[in-house]
Amino acid sequence: MTIYSLYIYDRHCTCVYYHDWQRTKQARPATEGGILPAVSQSVSPHKHDSVTPYNPRNTLSSLSGVVIAVNEDHPNPQSNSRGPTPNPPSQSQQQPQSGLPFDEEAKLVYGVVISLRNMIRKLSGKDEQFVNYYTSTYKLHLYETMSGYKFVMLSDPNVDSLRFVLRQMYSGPFLEYVVRNPLVPMDSKQRGIDNEYFRTSVDRMVRGLSVFL
Amino acid sequence: MAIFGLWVINKAGGLVYQRNFGDGLPTLTSNEYLVLAGTLHGIHAITSRLSPTGSSSGVQVIEGESFKMTIMLTPTGTKFVLLTSVTETTADVILQKVYEVYADAVMKNPFHTPEMPIRSDGFDRRITALLG
Repeated sequence: MTIYSLYIYDRHCTCVYYHDWQRTKQARPATEGGILPAVSQSVSPHKHDSVTPYNPRNTLSSLSGVVIAVNEDHPNPQSNSRGPTPNPPSQSQQQPQSGLPFDEEAKLVYGVVISLRNMIRKLSGKDEQFVNYYTSTYKLHLYETMSGYKFVMLSDPNVDSLRFVLRQMYSGPFLEYVVRNPLVPMDSKQRGIDNEYFRTSVDRMVRGLSVFL
Repeated sequence: MAIFGLWVINKAGGLVYQRNFGDGLPTLTSNEYLVLAGTLHGIHAITSRLSPTGSSSGVQVIEGESFKMTIMLTPTGTKFVLLTSVTETTADVILQKVYEVYADAVMKNPFHTPEMPIRSDGFDRRITALLG
């Protein structure tokens, strides 16, 4: 039993946040222009090895105070890159990849979720929500907020409904570090909502779940 | 513990049999059922590609708040879909029995054209006996 990944979509069908945990089949990095900046550093078009991305807005040093800033996806090329640059062949050997670039995958997930939501709504004849589906290897959970944000989580198929976790994620980290964060432009269609505090908080929450092994 | 409906979808995504049981879900027009079956066929193909680990089957169970859809894919590509209440635990077994009835009353019927809508009193009767 485990948790594989989390996608957050806004009401304009765009993926604004992505996080993965124990995926054995990684998505390939998105194609250029396929996803917004600040969705997830692990799948954005350019791979950078710099641990501390250069952030033009981050004028305070981290020693002088708490900065809940927005992560920049495209660090300045002049910033110090730490560690050797891995060459692409060896990297692909380390992680088997699904063959789908991330932007394609994100669109497919969204398409499935929306189609199923409409199907359930049509079949029930009332405003009933789609909750989850499962296949032989994974289970997809959906929580949709009143404002049209969709939280989608992929887990092991034997896990019970994780809707309450997605709800907690919305009422906890999301409200605290995204909605109440003036540096995160919501509904902008220009960039995602990824920032250090939100990511850390979501990570801690998921790793604390009893189903996360 | 209630059964709301049964669909049979052919390998091309066309709905060849559809029947409602009880009044747990509203009745839609046959056109709407055709569209939903086609959508389900597409979703089934996509879900097997989204697996975060290893190769996956297509979607097996879809849950809403008051009902769920259990989908059985046969080796020949025909899909049997059973709409039941969320608490129904025997949907898999029922689908297996429906498949048997299908093999007996439809596939062995010399007047049935494969991949075409199922119009057979014998099949209807046996499904009624099984699910009705």
